[in-house]
Amino acid sequence: MSNVIQATNLTLAYDNGTKEIIKDANFAIKKGEFVFITGPSGSGKSTLLKALYGQLKPREGNLIVGGHNLSNIRRKKLQELRTHMGMIFQDYKLVNEWTVAKNVVLPLMIAGYSNEVQDTQARRLLKHVKLPEYADKYPLELSGGEQQRVGVARALSKNPVVILADEPTGNLDDYSSNVIWDLMENACQQLDTTVLVVTHKIPTIFSLPYRHFIIENRGVYEVH
Amino acid sequence: MKFIKNHLMFILPLMAILLGIEFYLIFERSTDTYETKLTQGYTMLVVSKSPVQLDTFQNLNTHISSSSEVNRDEIISNIAKGMSQDSSNSILAKLPYFYNLGLNLYLNSDELEQIKSDLKADSNIKRVETFGTSHASKYKLFAFIKFTLETFIIFMMVVSFILIVKQMEIWKYQHKERMQIMEIFGAPLMLRAGVLFRIAFLDAIFSTLFISILFMYIKFSWAMDSGIDLMIEHQEALFHASDILILLCASLLLVVIAVYFVVFSSKGVKE
Repeated sequence: MSNVIQATNLTLAYDNGTKEIIKDANFAIKKGEFVFITGPSGSGKSTLLKALYGQLKPREGNLIVGGHNLSNIRRKKLQELRTHMGMIFQDYKLVNEWTVAKNVVLPLMIAGYSNEVQDTQARRLLKHVKLPEYADKYPLELSGGEQQRVGVARALSKNPVVILADEPTGNLDDYSSNVIWDLMENACQQLDTTVLVVTHKIPTIFSLPYRHFIIENRGVYEVH
Repeated sequence: MKFIKNHLMFILPLMAILLGIEFYLIFERSTDTYETKLTQGYTMLVVSKSPVQLDTFQNLNTHISSSSEVNRDEIISNIAKGMSQDSSNSILAKLPYFYNLGLNLYLNSDELEQIKSDLKADSNIKRVETFGTSHASKYKLFAFIKFTLETFIIFMMVVSFILIVKQMEIWKYQHKERMQIMEIFGAPLMLRAGVLFRIAFLDAIFSTLFISILFMYIKFSWAMDSGIDLMIEHQEALFHASDILILLCASLLLVVIAVYFVVFSSKGVKE
Protein backbone atom coordinates (compact mmCIF):
# COMPACT_ATOMS: atom_id res chain seq x y z
CA MET A 1 0.00 0.00 0.00
CA SER A 2 1.35 3.45 -0.88
CA ASN A 3 2.39 6.00 1.70
CA VAL A 4 0.11 9.00 2.02
CA ILE A 5 2.48 10.73 4.43
CA GLN A 6 6.22 10.25 4.58
CA ALA A 7 8.72 12.17 6.70
CA THR A 8 12.45 11.77 6.09
CA ASN A 9 14.96 13.41 8.45
CA LEU A 10 12.31 16.01 9.14
CA THR A 11 13.29 19.00 11.23
CA LEU A 12 10.71 21.62 12.16
CA ALA A 13 11.60 24.90 13.78
CA TYR A 14 10.18 28.32 14.66
CA ASP A 15 11.75 31.76 14.89
CA ASN A 16 13.50 31.63 11.51
CA GLY A 17 14.75 28.14 12.15
CA THR A 18 16.45 28.89 15.47
CA LYS A 19 13.98 27.16 17.81
CA GLU A 20 13.90 23.46 16.93
CA ILE A 21 10.68 21.65 17.79
CA ILE A 22 11.16 18.35 15.96
CA LYS A 23 14.51 17.01 14.81
CA ASP A 24 15.39 14.27 12.32
CA ALA A 25 11.99 12.58 12.43
CA ASN A 26 11.33 9.60 10.16
CA PHE A 27 7.93 8.00 9.75
CA ALA A 28 5.51 6.86 7.08
CA ILE A 29 1.72 6.50 7.12
CA LYS A 30 -0.13 4.38 4.58
CA LYS A 31 -3.46 4.94 2.90
CA GLY A 32 -6.43 4.01 5.09
CA GLU A 33 -4.45 3.92 8.35
CA PHE A 34 -5.72 5.46 11.56
CA VAL A 35 -2.86 7.05 13.45
CA PHE A 36 -2.58 8.77 16.81
CA ILE A 37 0.19 11.18 17.67
CA THR A 38 0.50 11.92 21.37
CA GLY A 39 2.96 13.71 23.58
CA PRO A 40 3.13 16.12 26.49
CA SER A 41 2.01 19.75 26.14
CA GLY A 42 4.44 21.79 24.09
CA SER A 43 6.13 18.69 22.65
CA GLY A 44 5.33 19.73 19.06
CA LYS A 45 2.18 17.78 18.20
CA SER A 46 0.33 20.77 16.75
CA THR A 47 3.54 21.97 15.08
CA LEU A 48 3.79 18.65 13.24
CA LEU A 49 0.16 18.96 12.19
CA LYS A 50 0.77 22.50 10.90
CA ALA A 51 3.65 21.18 8.85
CA LEU A 52 1.38 18.44 7.47
CA TYR A 53 -1.10 20.97 6.08
CA GLY A 54 1.64 23.22 4.82
CA GLN A 55 1.35 26.00 7.34
CA LEU A 56 4.92 25.51 8.53
CA LYS A 57 7.71 24.76 6.09
CA PRO A 58 10.23 22.08 7.17
CA ARG A 59 13.62 23.52 8.03
CA GLU A 60 15.39 20.36 6.93
CA GLY A 61 14.47 17.00 5.46
CA ASN A 62 11.45 16.06 3.41
CA LEU A 63 7.78 15.84 4.26
CA ILE A 64 5.72 14.26 1.51
CA VAL A 65 1.92 14.41 1.72
CA GLY A 66 -0.26 13.02 -1.04
CA GLY A 67 2.74 12.89 -3.36
CA HIS A 68 3.77 16.53 -2.79
CA ASN A 69 6.96 17.45 -1.01
CA LEU A 70 5.99 20.22 1.39
CA SER A 71 9.62 21.34 1.72
CA ASN A 72 9.51 23.02 -1.66
CA ILE A 73 5.86 23.10 -2.67
CA ARG A 74 4.56 26.11 -4.59
CA ARG A 75 1.67 28.16 -3.21
CA LYS A 76 -0.72 27.10 -5.96
CA LYS A 77 0.09 23.40 -5.48
CA LEU A 78 -0.31 23.75 -1.73
CA GLN A 79 -3.77 25.28 -2.23
CA GLU A 80 -4.67 22.35 -4.46
CA LEU A 81 -3.31 19.81 -1.95
CA ARG A 82 -5.32 21.38 0.86
CA THR A 83 -8.52 20.82 -1.10
CA HIS A 84 -7.81 17.07 -0.81
CA MET A 85 -7.35 17.25 2.96
CA GLY A 86 -9.93 17.32 5.70
CA MET A 87 -9.03 19.33 8.77
CA ILE A 88 -10.62 19.16 12.20
CA PHE A 89 -9.62 21.59 14.96
CA GLN A 90 -10.10 21.71 18.69
CA ASP A 91 -11.72 25.17 18.38
CA TYR A 92 -13.82 23.93 15.38
CA LYS A 93 -12.85 26.86 13.14
CA LEU A 94 -16.33 27.38 11.74
CA VAL A 95 -17.32 30.64 10.07
CA ASN A 96 -19.86 32.04 12.52
CA GLU A 97 -21.53 34.32 9.93
CA TRP A 98 -22.32 31.34 7.70
CA THR A 99 -25.03 28.75 8.15
CA VAL A 100 -24.11 25.24 9.21
CA ALA A 101 -24.80 23.98 5.67
CA LYS A 102 -22.51 26.58 4.12
CA ASN A 103 -19.76 25.69 6.58
CA VAL A 104 -20.08 22.01 5.72
CA VAL A 105 -19.66 22.58 1.98
CA LEU A 106 -16.77 25.06 2.22
CA PRO A 107 -14.32 22.60 0.54
CA LEU A 108 -16.84 22.03 -2.27
CA MET A 109 -17.34 25.78 -2.66
CA ILE A 110 -13.56 26.24 -2.96
CA ALA A 111 -13.40 23.44 -5.53
CA GLY A 112 -16.09 25.21 -7.56
CA TYR A 113 -18.91 22.65 -7.30
CA SER A 114 -22.38 23.81 -8.33
CA ASN A 115 -24.93 24.98 -5.78
CA GLU A 116 -27.04 21.88 -6.44
CA VAL A 117 -24.14 19.55 -5.62
CA GLN A 118 -23.32 21.61 -2.55
CA ASP A 119 -26.94 21.45 -1.30
CA THR A 120 -27.15 17.71 -1.84
CA GLN A 121 -23.84 17.09 -0.10
CA ALA A 122 -24.73 19.38 2.80
CA ARG A 123 -27.96 17.47 3.40
CA ARG A 124 -26.26 14.08 3.11
CA LEU A 125 -23.36 14.99 5.40
CA LEU A 126 -25.54 16.65 8.04
CA LYS A 127 -27.67 13.51 8.08
CA HIS A 128 -24.48 11.47 8.42
CA VAL A 129 -23.37 13.46 11.49
CA LYS A 130 -26.93 13.33 12.82
CA LEU A 131 -27.64 17.04 12.46
CA PRO A 132 -30.11 17.07 9.54
CA GLU A 133 -32.31 19.78 11.02
CA TYR A 134 -29.42 22.17 11.69
CA ALA A 135 -28.65 23.18 8.08
CA ASP A 136 -29.99 26.72 8.38
CA LYS A 137 -28.75 27.39 11.89
CA TYR A 138 -25.57 29.29 12.70
CA PRO A 139 -22.61 27.71 14.52
CA LEU A 140 -23.06 29.81 17.64
CA GLU A 141 -26.57 28.39 18.07
CA LEU A 142 -25.06 24.89 18.44
CA SER A 143 -23.37 23.19 21.39
CA GLY A 144 -19.65 22.42 21.29
CA GLY A 145 -20.27 18.78 20.42
CA GLU A 146 -22.64 19.75 17.62
CA GLN A 147 -20.19 22.30 16.25
CA GLN A 148 -17.49 19.64 16.15
CA ARG A 149 -19.83 17.31 14.27
CA VAL A 150 -20.24 20.10 11.72
CA GLY A 151 -16.43 20.27 11.64
CA VAL A 152 -16.26 16.53 10.93
CA ALA A 153 -18.92 16.84 8.21
CA ARG A 154 -16.88 19.64 6.60
CA ALA A 155 -13.72 17.52 6.77
CA LEU A 156 -15.53 14.68 4.99
CA SER A 157 -17.33 16.77 2.38
CA LYS A 158 -14.87 16.26 -0.46
CA ASN A 159 -13.87 12.64 0.27
CA PRO A 160 -10.39 13.67 1.39
CA VAL A 161 -7.26 11.58 0.97
CA VAL A 162 -6.27 12.38 4.52
CA ILE A 163 -7.97 13.83 7.57
CA LEU A 164 -5.81 15.76 10.03
CA ALA A 165 -7.37 16.31 13.43
CA ASP A 166 -5.89 18.52 16.14
CA GLU A 167 -7.29 17.59 19.57
CA PRO A 168 -10.75 17.08 18.04
CA THR A 169 -12.37 16.20 21.37
CA GLY A 170 -10.32 18.54 23.54
CA ASN A 171 -13.31 20.76 24.37
CA LEU A 172 -16.01 18.08 24.46
CA ASP A 173 -17.72 15.94 27.08
CA ASP A 174 -17.46 12.14 26.97
CA TYR A 175 -20.69 11.60 25.05
CA SER A 176 -19.83 14.12 22.32
CA SER A 177 -16.25 12.81 22.19
CA ASN A 178 -17.48 9.28 21.54
CA VAL A 179 -19.73 10.52 18.72
CA ILE A 180 -16.74 12.28 17.09
CA TRP A 181 -14.44 9.24 17.43
CA ASP A 182 -17.17 7.08 15.97
CA LEU A 183 -17.56 9.37 12.95
CA MET A 184 -13.82 9.45 12.31
CA GLU A 185 -13.49 5.70 12.68
CA ASN A 186 -16.29 5.26 10.16
CA ALA A 187 -14.60 7.61 7.70
CA CYS A 188 -11.42 5.56 7.92
CA GLN A 189 -13.19 2.22 7.51
CA GLN A 190 -15.78 3.14 4.90
CA LEU A 191 -13.91 5.70 2.78
CA ASP A 192 -10.41 4.26 3.22
CA THR A 193 -9.30 7.72 4.30
CA THR A 194 -6.07 8.11 6.22
CA VAL A 195 -6.82 9.70 9.59
CA LEU A 196 -4.11 11.32 11.67
CA VAL A 197 -5.15 12.53 15.09
CA VAL A 198 -3.06 14.64 17.39
CA THR A 199 -4.26 14.23 20.97
CA HIS A 200 -2.92 14.22 24.48
CA LYS A 201 -4.94 11.10 25.37
CA ILE A 202 -6.06 8.12 23.26
CA PRO A 203 -9.72 7.25 23.88
CA THR A 204 -10.36 3.84 25.40
CA ILE A 205 -13.49 3.18 23.35
CA PHE A 206 -11.50 2.83 20.17
CA SER A 207 -12.12 -0.40 18.28
CA LEU A 208 -9.83 0.02 15.26
CA PRO A 209 -6.29 -1.33 15.22
CA TYR A 210 -4.35 1.91 15.13
CA ARG A 211 -0.75 3.04 15.03
CA HIS A 212 0.55 5.30 17.72
CA PHE A 213 3.43 7.79 17.56
CA ILE A 214 4.75 9.75 20.49
CA ILE A 215 6.67 12.99 20.32
CA GLU A 216 9.36 13.23 22.98
CA ASN A 217 12.57 15.20 23.24
CA ARG A 218 12.10 16.57 19.70
CA GLY A 219 11.88 13.05 18.24
CA VAL A 220 8.89 11.18 16.76
CA TYR A 221 8.82 7.52 17.86
CA GLU A 222 6.36 4.77 17.10
CA VAL A 223 4.91 2.99 20.15
CA HIS A 224 4.55 -0.75 19.64
CA MET B 1 -24.70 53.21 12.66
CA LYS B 2 -21.39 51.33 12.73
CA PHE B 3 -22.20 49.90 9.29
CA ILE B 4 -22.77 53.39 7.83
CA LYS B 5 -19.65 54.75 9.53
CA ASN B 6 -17.59 51.84 8.17
CA HIS B 7 -18.74 52.48 4.63
CA LEU B 8 -18.43 56.27 4.84
CA MET B 9 -14.82 55.83 5.93
CA PHE B 10 -14.26 54.14 2.58
CA ILE B 11 -16.66 56.08 0.38
CA LEU B 12 -15.48 59.57 1.44
CA PRO B 13 -11.78 59.15 0.53
CA LEU B 14 -12.81 57.39 -2.67
CA MET B 15 -15.09 60.31 -3.48
CA ALA B 16 -12.20 62.70 -2.80
CA ILE B 17 -10.12 60.84 -5.39
CA LEU B 18 -12.97 60.84 -7.90
CA LEU B 19 -13.51 64.57 -7.26
CA GLY B 20 -9.85 65.08 -8.03
CA ILE B 21 -10.15 63.12 -11.27
CA GLU B 22 -13.30 65.01 -12.29
CA PHE B 23 -11.73 68.39 -11.48
CA TYR B 24 -8.75 67.41 -13.59
CA LEU B 25 -11.00 66.40 -16.50
CA ILE B 26 -12.96 69.66 -16.30
CA PHE B 27 -9.79 71.72 -16.03
CA GLU B 28 -8.24 69.94 -19.01
CA ARG B 29 -11.35 70.51 -21.11
CA SER B 30 -11.66 74.18 -20.13
CA THR B 31 -7.99 74.94 -20.59
CA ASP B 32 -7.89 73.12 -23.92
CA THR B 33 -10.28 75.77 -25.23
CA TYR B 34 -8.25 78.50 -23.57
CA GLU B 35 -5.01 77.13 -24.99
CA THR B 36 -6.53 76.93 -28.43
CA LYS B 37 -7.66 80.55 -28.18
CA LEU B 38 -4.23 81.66 -27.05
CA THR B 39 -2.59 79.70 -29.84
CA GLN B 40 -4.96 81.00 -32.47
CA GLY B 41 -4.55 84.57 -31.25
CA TYR B 42 -0.79 84.35 -31.36
CA THR B 43 1.29 85.16 -34.46
CA MET B 44 4.95 85.93 -35.04
CA LEU B 45 6.12 88.44 -37.60
CA VAL B 46 8.72 87.46 -40.18
CA VAL B 47 10.46 89.80 -42.63
CA SER B 48 12.02 88.23 -45.72
CA LYS B 49 13.92 89.46 -48.74
CA SER B 50 11.81 87.51 -51.25
CA PRO B 51 8.42 85.75 -51.15
CA VAL B 52 8.28 82.60 -48.97
CA GLN B 53 5.75 79.78 -49.22
CA LEU B 54 4.18 78.09 -46.16
CA ASP B 55 5.95 74.78 -46.80
CA THR B 56 9.30 76.59 -46.76
CA PHE B 57 8.47 77.92 -43.29
CA GLN B 58 7.29 74.47 -42.24
CA ASN B 59 10.53 72.93 -43.46
CA LEU B 60 12.35 75.29 -41.14
CA ASN B 61 10.15 74.45 -38.14
CA THR B 62 7.27 71.99 -37.89
CA HIS B 63 5.32 74.01 -35.30
CA ILE B 64 4.42 76.62 -37.93
CA SER B 65 0.86 75.96 -39.03
CA SER B 66 -0.09 78.98 -41.13
CA SER B 67 1.38 82.01 -42.85
CA SER B 68 -0.29 85.11 -44.20
CA GLU B 69 1.49 87.76 -46.13
CA VAL B 70 0.96 91.36 -45.06
CA ASN B 71 -0.35 93.25 -48.05
CA ARG B 72 2.60 95.30 -49.35
CA ASP B 73 0.37 97.72 -51.28
CA GLU B 74 -1.35 98.74 -48.07
CA ILE B 75 2.01 99.39 -46.46
CA ILE B 76 3.10 101.49 -49.42
CA SER B 77 -0.16 103.41 -49.42
CA ASN B 78 0.47 104.30 -45.77
CA ILE B 79 4.13 105.27 -46.04
CA ALA B 80 4.22 106.80 -49.51
CA LYS B 81 1.31 109.22 -49.18
CA GLY B 82 1.83 112.24 -51.43
CA MET B 83 4.75 110.67 -53.26
CA SER B 84 4.94 110.20 -56.99
CA GLN B 85 4.13 106.84 -58.56
CA ASP B 86 7.78 106.36 -59.49
CA SER B 87 8.86 106.90 -55.90
CA SER B 88 6.21 104.51 -54.68
CA ASN B 89 7.34 101.89 -57.16
CA SER B 90 10.92 102.42 -56.11
CA ILE B 91 10.00 101.92 -52.42
CA LEU B 92 7.89 98.91 -53.29
CA ALA B 93 10.81 97.35 -55.13
CA LYS B 94 13.01 97.72 -52.06
CA LEU B 95 10.35 96.82 -49.50
CA PRO B 96 10.87 93.38 -47.93
CA TYR B 97 8.07 90.83 -47.55
CA PHE B 98 6.13 90.62 -44.23
CA TYR B 99 4.46 87.46 -42.94
CA ASN B 100 2.34 86.67 -39.92
CA LEU B 101 3.03 83.05 -38.85
CA GLY B 102 0.58 80.96 -36.81
CA LEU B 103 1.58 78.00 -34.60
CA ASN B 104 0.00 74.61 -34.10
CA LEU B 105 0.72 74.44 -30.35
CA TYR B 106 0.86 76.63 -27.31
CA LEU B 107 4.63 77.02 -26.83
CA ASN B 108 6.79 78.38 -24.06
CA SER B 109 9.41 81.11 -24.56
CA ASP B 110 12.30 78.64 -25.04
CA GLU B 111 10.40 76.91 -27.81
CA LEU B 112 9.58 80.29 -29.39
CA GLU B 113 13.29 81.16 -29.31
CA GLN B 114 14.01 77.85 -31.03
CA ILE B 115 11.57 78.70 -33.83
CA LYS B 116 13.17 82.13 -34.11
CA SER B 117 16.65 80.67 -34.52
CA ASP B 118 15.38 78.03 -36.99
CA LEU B 119 13.84 80.77 -39.14
CA LYS B 120 16.90 82.99 -38.93
CA ALA B 121 19.01 80.12 -40.19
CA ASP B 122 17.52 80.86 -43.61
CA SER B 123 19.51 83.65 -45.29
CA ASN B 124 16.35 84.87 -47.04
CA ILE B 125 14.79 85.79 -43.67
CA LYS B 126 15.93 89.17 -42.43
CA ARG B 127 14.09 89.48 -39.15
CA VAL B 128 11.81 87.51 -36.81
CA GLU B 129 9.70 89.05 -34.08
CA THR B 130 8.21 86.55 -31.60
CA PHE B 131 6.53 88.94 -29.10
CA GLY B 132 7.84 86.49 -26.50
CA THR B 133 7.48 88.62 -23.36
CA SER B 134 3.70 89.03 -23.28
CA HIS B 135 3.28 85.50 -24.51
CA ALA B 136 5.63 84.10 -21.84
CA SER B 137 3.92 85.90 -18.96
CA LYS B 138 0.53 84.51 -19.99
CA TYR B 139 2.02 81.09 -20.49
CA LYS B 140 3.81 81.09 -17.12
CA LEU B 141 0.68 82.10 -15.23
CA PHE B 142 -1.29 79.47 -17.03
CA ALA B 143 1.35 76.78 -16.40
CA PHE B 144 1.60 77.76 -12.73
CA ILE B 145 -2.16 77.43 -12.18
CA LYS B 146 -2.14 74.09 -13.95
CA PHE B 147 0.83 72.82 -11.94
CA THR B 148 -0.70 73.97 -8.61
CA LEU B 149 -3.98 72.28 -9.33
CA GLU B 150 -2.35 69.05 -10.47
CA THR B 151 -0.08 68.97 -7.41
CA PHE B 152 -3.05 69.50 -5.12
CA ILE B 153 -5.04 66.77 -6.87
CA ILE B 154 -2.14 64.29 -6.68
CA PHE B 155 -1.55 65.08 -2.99
CA MET B 156 -5.25 64.69 -2.21
CA MET B 157 -5.34 61.39 -4.10
CA VAL B 158 -2.33 59.96 -2.25
CA VAL B 159 -3.75 60.89 1.16
CA SER B 160 -7.15 59.49 0.20
CA PHE B 161 -5.62 56.25 -1.07
CA ILE B 162 -3.82 55.79 2.26
CA LEU B 163 -7.17 56.25 4.04
CA ILE B 164 -8.77 53.69 1.71
CA VAL B 165 -6.04 51.16 2.46
CA LYS B 166 -6.44 51.78 6.21
CA GLN B 167 -10.18 51.17 6.00
CA MET B 168 -9.54 48.05 3.93
CA GLU B 169 -7.20 46.80 6.66
CA ILE B 170 -9.98 47.27 9.20
CA TRP B 171 -12.31 45.22 7.01
CA LYS B 172 -9.65 42.57 6.55
CA TYR B 173 -9.24 42.40 10.31
CA GLN B 174 -13.02 42.06 10.72
CA HIS B 175 -13.08 39.15 8.26
CA LYS B 176 -9.69 37.73 9.23
CA GLU B 177 -11.03 34.56 10.81
CA ARG B 178 -13.16 33.67 7.82
CA MET B 179 -10.27 34.33 5.43
CA GLN B 180 -7.93 32.22 7.55
CA ILE B 181 -10.35 29.29 7.60
CA MET B 182 -10.77 29.52 3.85
CA GLU B 183 -7.01 29.58 3.41
CA ILE B 184 -6.60 26.44 5.53
CA PHE B 185 -9.00 24.65 3.21
CA GLY B 186 -7.09 25.80 0.12
CA ALA B 187 -9.13 28.77 -1.09
CA PRO B 188 -7.27 30.92 -3.63
CA LEU B 189 -6.71 34.60 -2.95
CA MET B 190 -9.63 35.81 -5.08
CA LEU B 191 -12.07 33.64 -3.15
CA ARG B 192 -10.60 34.49 0.26
CA ALA B 193 -10.66 38.19 -0.46
CA GLY B 194 -14.08 37.91 -2.12
CA VAL B 195 -15.80 39.54 0.80
CA LEU B 196 -13.45 42.54 0.61
CA PHE B 197 -13.97 42.83 -3.15
CA ARG B 198 -17.75 42.70 -2.74
CA ILE B 199 -17.88 45.48 -0.15
CA ALA B 200 -15.33 47.60 -1.99
CA PHE B 201 -16.99 47.20 -5.41
CA LEU B 202 -20.31 48.24 -3.97
CA ASP B 203 -18.80 51.33 -2.35
CA ALA B 204 -16.93 52.15 -5.58
CA ILE B 205 -20.22 52.14 -7.49
CA PHE B 206 -21.88 54.32 -4.84
CA SER B 207 -18.98 56.79 -4.89
CA THR B 208 -19.14 57.05 -8.69
CA LEU B 209 -22.88 57.63 -8.54
CA PHE B 210 -22.59 60.33 -5.86
CA ILE B 211 -19.90 62.23 -7.78
CA SER B 212 -21.73 61.88 -11.10
CA ILE B 213 -24.99 63.16 -9.59
CA LEU B 214 -23.13 66.06 -7.95
CA PHE B 215 -21.53 67.17 -11.21
CA MET B 216 -24.69 66.68 -13.21
CA TYR B 217 -26.44 68.96 -10.72
CA ILE B 218 -23.61 71.51 -11.04
CA LYS B 219 -23.75 71.37 -14.83
CA PHE B 220 -27.47 71.40 -15.43
CA SER B 221 -28.75 73.42 -12.50
CA TRP B 222 -26.19 75.24 -10.41
CA ALA B 223 -24.02 76.57 -13.25
CA MET B 224 -26.96 78.31 -14.94
CA ASP B 225 -28.40 79.64 -11.69
CA SER B 226 -25.04 80.86 -10.44
CA GLY B 227 -24.91 83.74 -12.94
CA ILE B 228 -21.13 83.30 -13.15
CA ASP B 229 -20.15 84.03 -16.75
CA LEU B 230 -17.22 81.62 -16.69
CA MET B 231 -19.49 78.79 -15.54
CA ILE B 232 -22.16 79.52 -18.12
CA GLU B 233 -19.55 79.89 -20.85
CA HIS B 234 -17.90 76.56 -19.97
CA GLN B 235 -21.08 74.71 -19.02
CA GLU B 236 -20.50 72.07 -21.67
CA ALA B 237 -17.06 71.27 -20.24
CA LEU B 238 -18.41 70.72 -16.73
CA PHE B 239 -19.50 67.11 -17.09
CA HIS B 240 -19.64 64.61 -19.95
CA ALA B 241 -21.54 61.33 -19.94
CA SER B 242 -18.26 59.54 -20.66
CA ASP B 243 -16.99 60.84 -17.31
CA ILE B 244 -19.23 58.33 -15.52
CA LEU B 245 -17.36 55.51 -17.24
CA ILE B 246 -13.98 57.08 -16.49
CA LEU B 247 -14.90 57.56 -12.82
CA LEU B 248 -16.30 54.03 -12.51
CA CYS B 249 -13.21 52.46 -14.09
CA ALA B 250 -10.93 54.58 -11.89
CA SER B 251 -12.78 53.68 -8.71
CA LEU B 252 -12.87 49.96 -9.54
CA LEU B 253 -9.18 50.00 -10.41
CA LEU B 254 -8.36 51.76 -7.13
CA VAL B 255 -10.42 49.25 -5.21
CA VAL B 256 -8.70 46.28 -6.85
CA ILE B 257 -5.27 47.80 -6.14
CA ALA B 258 -6.23 48.50 -2.53
CA VAL B 259 -7.57 44.96 -1.94
CA TYR B 260 -4.47 43.35 -3.46
CA PHE B 261 -2.24 45.73 -1.52
CA VAL B 262 -3.91 44.81 1.77
CA VAL B 263 -4.26 41.07 1.13
CA PHE B 264 -0.71 40.61 -0.16
CA SER B 265 0.74 42.58 2.73
CA SER B 266 -0.43 39.83 5.14
CA LYS B 267 1.82 36.82 5.58
CA GLY B 268 -0.58 33.90 5.49
CA VAL B 269 -2.52 32.35 8.31
CA LYS B 270 -1.66 33.28 11.86
CA GLU B 271 -3.22 31.27 14.61
